[in-house]
Amino acid sequence: MTRLRVLASRIRALFSLRRIDREFEQELESHEQLLTEENLRRGMSPGEARRVARLRLGNPSSLRESNHDRRGLPFVESSLRDVAYAVRMLRKSPGFALIAILTLAIGIGANTAIFGIVDSGLLRPLPVRNPGRVVVIAYQRHGGKLLSYFSYPNFRDIRNESSSAFSGMAAYESSFDGLGKGSRSQRVLTNYVTGNFFTLLGIRPSVGRLIQPSEGRATVASPVVVLSYTRWQTQFGGDRAIIGRKVLIDDQPVTVIGVTPKGFHGVMPFVETDAYLPLSMALVGKWDSRSSLAKRTSAGPFLILGRLRSGVSLAQSQAVLGVIARRLSSDHPRSDSGLSLSAYPQTLARPAPMLHNPIPAVAALFLALAAMVLLLACINIVNLLLVRAAARSHEMAVRSALGGTRARLIRQLLTESLLLAVLGGAGGILLGIWTCAEIGSVNFSPGLPLLLDFHFDWRVFLYAFAVAMVAGVLVGIVPALRASRVEPAAVLHEGGRGLTPGRQRLRSALVVAQVAGSLMLLVIAGLFTRSLQRVQQVHLGFDPSHVLNLSMDPHEIGYTDAQSREFYQELLRRARNLPGVRSAGIAFTTPFRLYTASQDSVDIDGYTPPPGKPEPYVYFNSVSPGFFRTMRIPLDRGRTFTDADGPKSAPVAIINEAMARRFWPHEDPIGRKFHLAGGPAQWEIVGVVGNSRMMKLTGPPQPYFFLPVAQLFTSYETLQLRTAGPAAAMIPQARGLIHSMAPDLPLFDVGTMNEMLSGSAFLVFRFGAVLAAALGLLGLLLALIGVYGVTSYAANRRTHEIGIRLALGAQPAQILRMIFSQGALIVALGLAIGLLGALAAARLVGSMLIISAADPLVYAAVSTVLALVALAACYVPARRAMRVDPTVGLRHE
Amino acid sequence: MTETKSEILQGTLDLMVLKTLDAMGPLHGYGVARRIEQVSENLLRLNQGTIYASLVRLQQKGWISASWGTSENNRKAKFYAITKAGRKQLAAETENWERFSGVIGRMLALADRR
Repeated sequence: MTRLRVLASRIRALFSLRRIDREFEQELESHEQLLTEENLRRGMSPGEARRVARLRLGNPSSLRESNHDRRGLPFVESSLRDVAYAVRMLRKSPGFALIAILTLAIGIGANTAIFGIVDSGLLRPLPVRNPGRVVVIAYQRHGGKLLSYFSYPNFRDIRNESSSAFSGMAAYESSFDGLGKGSRSQRVLTNYVTGNFFTLLGIRPSVGRLIQPSEGRATVASPVVVLSYTRWQTQFGGDRAIIGRKVLIDDQPVTVIGVTPKGFHGVMPFVETDAYLPLSMALVGKWDSRSSLAKRTSAGPFLILGRLRSGVSLAQSQAVLGVIARRLSSDHPRSDSGLSLSAYPQTLARPAPMLHNPIPAVAALFLALAAMVLLLACINIVNLLLVRAAARSHEMAVRSALGGTRARLIRQLLTESLLLAVLGGAGGILLGIWTCAEIGSVNFSPGLPLLLDFHFDWRVFLYAFAVAMVAGVLVGIVPALRASRVEPAAVLHEGGRGLTPGRQRLRSALVVAQVAGSLMLLVIAGLFTRSLQRVQQVHLGFDPSHVLNLSMDPHEIGYTDAQSREFYQELLRRARNLPGVRSAGIAFTTPFRLYTASQDSVDIDGYTPPPGKPEPYVYFNSVSPGFFRTMRIPLDRGRTFTDADGPKSAPVAIINEAMARRFWPHEDPIGRKFHLAGGPAQWEIVGVVGNSRMMKLTGPPQPYFFLPVAQLFTSYETLQLRTAGPAAAMIPQARGLIHSMAPDLPLFDVGTMNEMLSGSAFLVFRFGAVLAAALGLLGLLLALIGVYGVTSYAANRRTHEIGIRLALGAQPAQILRMIFSQGALIVALGLAIGLLGALAAARLVGSMLIISAADPLVYAAVSTVLALVALAACYVPARRAMRVDPTVGLRHE
Repeated sequence: MTETKSEILQGTLDLMVLKTLDAMGPLHGYGVARRIEQVSENLLRLNQGTIYASLVRLQQKGWISASWGTSENNRKAKFYAITKAGRKQLAAETENWERFSGVIGRMLALADRR
């Protein structure tokens, strides 16, 4: 406490040190006067009296100094002086300062941008009360795939039986709905939530109120909706009067009761949830083909969030969940045999709970690549500083001769490099913000409300600051240590030409490291780019060119299922007659579409899973006649769907080859039957089609099957057209056709199949390739500057020598060879080390690539490019050296 | 006598300054130094400048306060006065000191008896 008060008083004093010094002067003077008078009274002579008074008081200048230091904070004071001096030094060489600050800004900016992306995706907790206690519940059956969609009865049981570990559990179902006020509605991402959803999160509305616990399951007389802040702003202009008014959701009037807080984007990772409705609303009007809330099935539509009780650890909660899982598994063997439950902290469940989440590794990789870029940038600045250190050896010698200790000199030089780093860091943050905003504005996945909220929070700023400080010390320490090791006598005598060969060796070694580092970056970038290329050449099993997709959901404008069925049939008929359309089909989902993939466990006649293994999960799609022709998926055996496969006729299915081979390896699957978990329908196989890649680009083909859309109907469907000309050119006619039939129907995910694939299937690879390539190019540029700088500096310093050589009859070509070979040696060494490093680094990222981590083409191409560019950077100064005029060279001092 | 002159502990000087200000009321630096010398019957001959180190320390801790006034010879001088917190500290330190010097005294007496 006292210590704090002393510190406070010293800090206060910093602002009035001059006054304090003056006052102390006065105080001493008056003290001396009093002593002198005392001595006079004792009978001394005036001179004697003054002399004795001075003796009694002590040395005034040392008293003044120690008073000054004791009053203020000497370290801070001298640091401030160092900073002022550093600013003066930088202003004296603005060119150097600008280059150094820009280079650092680029390096720090790259790091800040990547960290900003990682932060917003993985690190930033939900903006709710005590987010660390919020978990996502997931399950496995017989140790199989980790899933997180529950049926309502399972949610209810888990919630009721886990209250010893969880203070609450909420469930929600996500859906797309039409939201509008007048005629035109927009398609929005909605969550149907249990009544305790918002109280569990502990957030406050920005306007109005949120859904109350009593509203969750109550059958609604007057339905309500909570809008997200973003949706409120964009669609309703932030109008407060909207509260209490009715809007249309799927053409049904619903009262807006409130708006979520600003900055709350919902609980689903990476997407923006637009509106929240009570769970009971999910039953009204829509999804009438869906199973009801009461039915216990192996997989349902509900995601579960839990809040751990305070003092309960994750491990303790797992134990509680384990008991529940065993109980459910023995009580409901049909739906839940072999069930195990687990809780994942929300930040680790992005995008979903996963056993082996690859995303943190990818994030770490890109952070490491960015760090590499910064390292290369730092090396350039170290080189610049070493040149400056040579030029400043005279100054250092003078300071040292005047009594500056080595530690004091190092501190001064480090202050200069830290000042550079702070300025570079400020620039880097600006660059990072700009880069993130650019990335955020790219429309990566049309149709899905992707959340790219890369706003910078304290974590990013802290990271940028830490990176800048490390960079400052990194670039400053070696030059400072070298520069401070001065022998004043030697330097002062030599007249300021303190040249040591060791300095050149160090600089060359640094550039070798730079070439090596940039080669590593380029190899990784090359591997990602080649993976992207390879992925785009993967045999998909369907033909994406000339296919146009348009998605719609007539329930959003209030159609019943019967009306929707009729609508789609008529739409198909008319679409096939559009000029320029070769064929048309309807499908529930399209390849690689996020959030609308269907999968279920299948129960197959004559197939028993290996003991202890769950029933197999298979992805499927429901499609109309014409689908296979439109997608150009070849039929191997049997038949495709026809209009005769209607809702009343016998259920039929078409499977792919991989499914046939997996479950009926030695027999003809045609005529065999299977059913979906919990479903009564026996689907009879009537055809086998070729394998196609619907969910995964790599690995062996996955089993997949198709059901007639008429027999497994949802109102959400995609119209697919195969066009004669470019698919995009058909968009106006297709839109026109649909709106001539249903003027207000919102259309979404409108685009060609190729566009959609690059927005979904290839998204990760594209993102990775672009990011890695950007970092690789930065690295190349920095290495280039390094090579050029060190070669031309070396050539410059040898001007005198070159002059002598030329005067003694050396040929210019020999000079060229001499300087060039020196640079070439650096490049060659860098390439050799870089290749080894790249091989090691690529091994680490091998699992994220499609091609081999040792792909010879990438290594060869990248080293050639780097070698050529780097040698060109050596050639320019070497050529200049060749042209040295001997007379000038000899006089050069 | 030479020993006692130079070997004053920092804390001891602070305690003496505090006690002086408590007993005498506000004083300037010269007055404090003079008083300490008088009380010690000139056994303690201070390098009077060192008194200011002690005064700064006490001031920073908030145990004394300073204000400008006029000295007996009509000069501007800085006067120091003990604060409430300073009195509390003085009481505590006095007790400490007495306990400590009692222990030392007993120790020395013990050594004598052997």
